[in-house]
Amino acid sequence: MKQQDYDWLSALHANRRTVLKGAASAAALGASGALGTFSEIALAQNNLRAQIGQIPGVGKGAPTDADWQKVGELCLGPTKASIKEGEFKGVELSFMGLNNQNLHNLLFRGFLKPWEAYTGAKISWIDLAQADYNPRLQQAIATGTVDFDILEMGAPFEGDVCGKGLASEMPDWVKKQIDIDDYVDYLKPPVGTWNGKTYRVTIDGDCHNFNYRTDVFSDPALAKAWKDAGNASEWGVPKTWQQVQAVTKFLKGQKFKGQNVYGYLDAPKPWGGFGFYFLGSRATAYAKHPDDKAWLFDVDTMKPRINNPAWVRAIQDVIDALPSEPADQLNADPNTTGFQQFLAGIGSMIPWWGDIGQVAKASDTSVIGDTVGFDILPGSDDVYNSKTGKWEKLPSGPNHAPNCAYLGWGIYVMARVNGDEKKHKAAWSAAAHLGGKDLSFWMVLYPSGFQAHRTSHFQYDEWVAAGYDRKYITSYLNSQIGSYNHPNRAVEPRIPGIFQYYSIAEDELTKIFAGKVDPQTGANNIAAAWEKLTDQIGRERQIGLYKASLGV
Amino acid sequence: MQNSVSVSDDLHHQPAAKRAPGSRKAAGRALVLLASLGFALVVLIQVLHTTGATGAGFSDWRPILIAYLVWAVAFGVGRVLTRGERGQRALFLLPAVFFTVAVVIFPTIFGIYIASLDWNLSSIEGPRFSGFDNLRGMLNDTYYWNALGNMVFYTVAVLGEYAIAFGLALLLSAEIRARKFFRVVFLLPMMLSPVAVSWMIGKSLLEYRFGPAATLARYLGWDNPAFFASPWMARFSIQAMDAWVSIPFIMIILLAGLQAMPKEVQEAAKVDGANGWQSFWHVTFPIMLPVSITVLIIRIIFKLKLADIVINVTAGGPGGATDTVSSFIYRVYRDRSNVGYGTALAMVYLLLIIVLLTLMLRLSKRWTQKVV
Repeated sequence: MKQQDYDWLSALHANRRTVLKGAASAAALGASGALGTFSEIALAQNNLRAQIGQIPGVGKGAPTDADWQKVGELCLGPTKASIKEGEFKGVELSFMGLNNQNLHNLLFRGFLKPWEAYTGAKISWIDLAQADYNPRLQQAIATGTVDFDILEMGAPFEGDVCGKGLASEMPDWVKKQIDIDDYVDYLKPPVGTWNGKTYRVTIDGDCHNFNYRTDVFSDPALAKAWKDAGNASEWGVPKTWQQVQAVTKFLKGQKFKGQNVYGYLDAPKPWGGFGFYFLGSRATAYAKHPDDKAWLFDVDTMKPRINNPAWVRAIQDVIDALPSEPADQLNADPNTTGFQQFLAGIGSMIPWWGDIGQVAKASDTSVIGDTVGFDILPGSDDVYNSKTGKWEKLPSGPNHAPNCAYLGWGIYVMARVNGDEKKHKAAWSAAAHLGGKDLSFWMVLYPSGFQAHRTSHFQYDEWVAAGYDRKYITSYLNSQIGSYNHPNRAVEPRIPGIFQYYSIAEDELTKIFAGKVDPQTGANNIAAAWEKLTDQIGRERQIGLYKASLGV
Repeated sequence: MQNSVSVSDDLHHQPAAKRAPGSRKAAGRALVLLASLGFALVVLIQVLHTTGATGAGFSDWRPILIAYLVWAVAFGVGRVLTRGERGQRALFLLPAVFFTVAVVIFPTIFGIYIASLDWNLSSIEGPRFSGFDNLRGMLNDTYYWNALGNMVFYTVAVLGEYAIAFGLALLLSAEIRARKFFRVVFLLPMMLSPVAVSWMIGKSLLEYRFGPAATLARYLGWDNPAFFASPWMARFSIQAMDAWVSIPFIMIILLAGLQAMPKEVQEAAKVDGANGWQSFWHVTFPIMLPVSITVLIIRIIFKLKLADIVINVTAGGPGGATDTVSSFIYRVYRDRSNVGYGTALAMVYLLLIIVLLTLMLRLSKRWTQKVV
């Protein structure tokens, strides 16, 4: 997509008027009977979505296990259409997934209880902390001890799992049941597929968006102080990383509502590899050139770019910003910045996945529900061109490159069920239930660990009906769809061992942030270690997979 | 008297063990030889197969275990055949030998073997023999040396823990009020899991924003009481947490030693005119040396394994300042899936610990002999 086409499409973002026009047209068609049976099905589905959207209702406290079970029960329709009651009696399945933030697996348990009651199957659970996920999975693969039938897994691991023939191919009836064509474009194949075969029921779409405090950036006192400090621009939400830096430094020592106020929150502490995404979000606008799909490695050689001027500038930005952030920020991982700081009222800007927007509004743990705004990640006044080795200013203005970090979670069925037809069907039925169109809508409405990933998730009225403020949810969803569809999005490389690359980087970055080594030396160390790892895993294979992940 | 002597002689009389005849001996030796050759052959085939030197081999290591068991049984039977009754006595040792080989010798040999592999779990080729490459990598690994350096600090800090524990033990062995109550209270931290301590202290008590310790520090004039933001502060904070859990253990051992000490010795020192300090330094401390050395060695072994608190609170940061060898090895395994290298690091660390403890034991033996 060309930049101008994208800008034109962005201008067409749904607003109240266009949505109402669309709704009125649909209603008229339905009323006239022009759509026949289809309109009845659609209407029933809309009623169901409206009904589950009210469980428990946005702003009415965090959902509980009873809510999850209720939603699971209400969304059993597609299962009942393809599975007889008690059909899986005697089948025992093992499910491995996360327990991060007391979400993920905990929700799945609730959703699947009615499914278990109906089908007769029994599920046992393996819960993992986020940081333990990669090693547990890698060990199971390497030692041939896959002890689970269903797996919650992110696309970055597809190379490790699907590439080694450990996953079961998705049957056609599942594709139909989950309406696989409803996924947003960037989550369509090759994501979720391997060698042309589909393996993944997508339950999440991932990108880092920019979360900011609307009250901070509309505060007259801060606006005056900003002007008094000699800034020519108006006080407002930063649109570029250069502005983020300036605002963060300015806010150091300022007061807001009688409290110290902070700007951007970095997450320097390692987080099992996942922390690297947060440096990535600072770096993509510098490192991802619109004319080059690659941004982490050179696509033909796998030579790391982590030590090029773009990444080094991003690292330097963190070092420059840290003195203006809370004193203990060196000891903050993304869990801390997201859930213990930003949602608890500390800091005014943070990159994160969609969880922040859900939790801010629909959980008891947040104190900032009404004062959060969202945008795609900030851009940069200039972008580094790896091919020419020069910084460039684009004629179209600042370069934006949303970080599509992780590509979301999915449900995968393991190949070990293939030999048992009943078990195979049961496992896929459970996966299809979790990845169902309506159930997924509830999951993206409420705190779950998952964010919007289907075209049907972007019907703003449904969110408003569930209790979200229109302005809030428009901002939230636009930041996501704007990232997913951005022509210069930075896409996660789906290569084996990716989290080992990230983990190595995290270790070296902590040394850089603590002042033990300078950014360039540290980045060179990361690059050298990455080269070694690429050789260890297999360079030629990695090049092939990296190209495939970028669509080159 | 004569009778009693003969009874005693009877008691100590050892009947000569029956010797095995020549044919049996030959059969026994042949059996042991054949079993040993078979076992060696199976191991050799598997090693050659794993290192890629030959295509023939086993898909996993189970045949090695079976070959070992066959060899062990053949060895036992062979001993009986070659040594007659004395061989039968040796059979009683077999369970212990089995156990030692299974839990000590085999894992060590297997560990050395894994340490010689280039084995990343994501590698499509799987494990590859790399000889001493992992050891060479270790010599250039700044993280490993940094962690070892940190271990020096943590290990030396054990002396501080010991001093505090000794003071508490002396206090609790004295006739003070509510002595039983204090004994229970002082022991409580030992009951806690280090992970719980990480959250209770590291993530709550010492938390920068709302932690009581930070609040108190601000009240006392420390503007930014960030306990984990600077390298030395973080090191001391981790050490303090670990000490809080471990001091009760040292204290209870020392307390037991103090209570076993004969009171007359101290009374004699008093009669000779020794004051409190002299009595402690010249009487109590030397008598307590064997107990002290034992408890210090045990504590140092535990200290060298320090990882859980570090992993949970700082993940080795800031900038590796709190990293321990165990927490670093854990990351090499867990986050980098680098099994070969992680095992090499672990084996070298094990060797270092064995050398260190052997030295300590020898030195302490000499010192104890000199002092006591």
